[in-house]
Amino acid sequence: MTVQARRHVWMGAIPLHLHLHSSEVTSLPAPPPFLILAPRNGYLPLLVDAIRPHFNSALPPGSDTIWFDYQGLPLKWNIPTGVLFDLLCAEPERPWNLTVHFRSYPAGVLSLCEDEAVKWNFINALKEAFYVMYGNTKSIMNMSQSDQVELWHCVMKGDLEGYDRLAARVKPAFGFGANVGRGFGHPPSVAETAITNPVTRAGKPGRIPMRMYLRMVDQDLNDLFDVRPVSSWDDVVYVTCPIDVPKRQGTTLTLRDALMKVVPHLFSSSPTISNEVTSEAPSVMRASSNAVHNEFNGIVRVQGIEPSLDLPLDWVARNLCGPEHFVHLSVICTLVAPSLPPGAAD
Amino acid sequence: MEEAAVMEERMGLAVVQACRALRQRHREEEGAHGPALAALFTALSRPPDGELHGKMEALQLELSQSYQKQSQLSEQLLHEVTGAQAFREQLVERENSIVQLQAELLGARGRVTQLEEELEKKERALEASIEEMKALRIQVEELDAKLVKAQAENRMLIDRWMEQKMKDAERLNEANAMYEDMMERFKGKTLDDLARAQVDGIVRHSEAGAEDYVESGMPTSLRHAMRAHDGGCSTLKFEHGGGSLISGGHDRLVRTWDTERGVPLATLRGCLGSVLDLAMSHDDTMVLAASADHKLYLWEVQSGRIRHTLTGHAEKVCAVDYSKASNRRAVSAAQDRTIKIWDLQTGYGVNTIVCHSNCNAVALTMDGDIVCSGHMDGNLRLWDVRSGKSASEVAAHGQGITSVSLSKSGNAILTSGRDNVHTIFDVRTLEAQASFRALGFRVATNWSRSCLSGDESYVSAGSIDGSVLVWSRRLNETENSLKHHPSAVLACAWSNVRRRLASADKNGGICIWE
Repeated sequence: MTVQARRHVWMGAIPLHLHLHSSEVTSLPAPPPFLILAPRNGYLPLLVDAIRPHFNSALPPGSDTIWFDYQGLPLKWNIPTGVLFDLLCAEPERPWNLTVHFRSYPAGVLSLCEDEAVKWNFINALKEAFYVMYGNTKSIMNMSQSDQVELWHCVMKGDLEGYDRLAARVKPAFGFGANVGRGFGHPPSVAETAITNPVTRAGKPGRIPMRMYLRMVDQDLNDLFDVRPVSSWDDVVYVTCPIDVPKRQGTTLTLRDALMKVVPHLFSSSPTISNEVTSEAPSVMRASSNAVHNEFNGIVRVQGIEPSLDLPLDWVARNLCGPEHFVHLSVICTLVAPSLPPGAAD
Repeated sequence: MEEAAVMEERMGLAVVQACRALRQRHREEEGAHGPALAALFTALSRPPDGELHGKMEALQLELSQSYQKQSQLSEQLLHEVTGAQAFREQLVERENSIVQLQAELLGARGRVTQLEEELEKKERALEASIEEMKALRIQVEELDAKLVKAQAENRMLIDRWMEQKMKDAERLNEANAMYEDMMERFKGKTLDDLARAQVDGIVRHSEAGAEDYVESGMPTSLRHAMRAHDGGCSTLKFEHGGGSLISGGHDRLVRTWDTERGVPLATLRGCLGSVLDLAMSHDDTMVLAASADHKLYLWEVQSGRIRHTLTGHAEKVCAVDYSKASNRRAVSAAQDRTIKIWDLQTGYGVNTIVCHSNCNAVALTMDGDIVCSGHMDGNLRLWDVRSGKSASEVAAHGQGITSVSLSKSGNAILTSGRDNVHTIFDVRTLEAQASFRALGFRVATNWSRSCLSGDESYVSAGSIDGSVLVWSRRLNETENSLKHHPSAVLACAWSNVRRRLASADKNGGICIWE
């Protein structure tokens, strides 16, 4: 089941409905909109080869880099497409209506996207993740050039098997090959497996690389259809937050624990034990159990799903991370956390 | 522990839920849209069905055909347009050329009118010239007529001339006959004379004139004084017959004078220089004049015409003498230090004698074989005429000899020199027989002529002071001094016939004394 989950994550794609921006239409009639499936773990500029031929005949002379906007907001190309979708489409919209631009690149808002910028962005993210996980980037730096290129090609194609094979070659602990074999067939054995597997322990990441995107909305989270669109990237906060993995045996962090640690203020009744989360396992347990009463005032999305906060972080890191090993959490929350009484949610 | 179990259970539930959510999401997103999109793309890229396909192909074919046609038509159009363009250009060109040609035509017309005008002018000129030619032709005809007339006249004149010639020839024949006759008589006379001379005991070699021998008398009075030559009279001679006098002067004329009446008889013209010396043929028919223009002129006295002009001297000819034996021979001396012997029949020089001193005076002996010449170095020289060689030489005077004159008999020769002495030499021995000088006497020029009287008893010479002195040979002293000339006396001459003495001065006057 988890194997399937991982495959779903890898195969995940968002249907895009692309319009050419009206200022760039030079043909009559305007070219019809273009439909395409964009991989969730991919990046928008990688679609250019498929999109350009469709609009080529309508384009004005000259050339520039392709870019996209959603409701007036230029989309950052260095954020995976799935994350953008989860974050910006408060209420999922399928297919996703985007406007495509081939001219007048907004260099002030977006960083320049040159030939291999997307690839380097990926590699850098990979390095960052490795640093977070192991404290160094040696294994990436030691990759041969051809392996690196092949890895990148696997990512672009969504070739999970090739990716896993390469990852295994780079470092036994890299990737999840060892665990994939065993799987998470039975949830009760999760913690056990993670602890007892010597290989895993040997290469066990010290921390889990997590990146959180926080979008504030001034509306009730239950009705997000008419939410005000994001007008500027200033309205979105995103942070890279490594989560320490407790060394102690028998302790399993959940997604809730991680969130408590990063954005404690989003919990309706902020527990006083926040400092103890990492230090004391029993208290964590208690906190987790107590957290039932602590309502999280926001929507968390990972890979297009809104997971239960009881989801073990370990599992999340293994199955819901992108190819660069980051776990992207999109969080939509109200601007001011409503101070609901603890029991109101029940 | 129970709590942990609960927790684990909850976590497992959450994982299951997450997996379900992922599947749900998959179904909603790529699972739902992927096949739809695939279907859409396959629909778009699916080939159209047969009928439509066939139709479309037909239509496409039609379209391509029509495209082809269109392209052909457009090509044709292009062709036509270019053709039209070319035609237009041609037209413009033609128009330009028409304009050009019109301009040329205008120019040509102008030229034509100009040429016509010129033609008219030319025609007029032609007419004028034709008229002129007519006139000229008429003139030519006239002239032809004149020519014919003149030819006729000429012929007539020639006839007349021939007639005259015939007459002349007849006369010449007559003269010859007469001459023959006279010669006959003369020979007879000579024989008689010879006989008589032998009877006298003296052999005389004299000419026919010797029979006219007359005793000379001392001239004492002036008979005539004549104004003869402008610029001076340099020479004068009496005819052998004695009747008339000839004179030559600086006015380039030779005149003959009647000594009796003192009037001029004739004037011989033709000489181009001053006449410096004269000679008369022994028969008095010819006069030979030596001129300063380097030539000698031979006149016939009768007609006054020049028979010959003798050329050959390079300087002025200062002396001349006629042979007393023959009419053909003459001798002349010039300032070019030559003495020339002439054949007067032909007018050619026969011989030339070159000497080192200028010759002022010459004389031929009676037989005409010896030339006596007086030179500037004061020597008297004798030359053989035939060989041209010096025969004899004598130092006669201290200074240059001015005159040499032979006596009538031919035995004595009188010379005068610039030492103012006159000497008589014996021709044969060249011994000085007598010499004359006088106080106050001075020879006027290098060519002052003195003379002996016919009987050889008197010597006369002109002085620079205008007096004419006469010496008696017998007394050997000055006998008379005749004074009338206003200037230096240049020449004097005795008449053979009558006792007359003629003298000429530098002013051109001639005095005849008796």
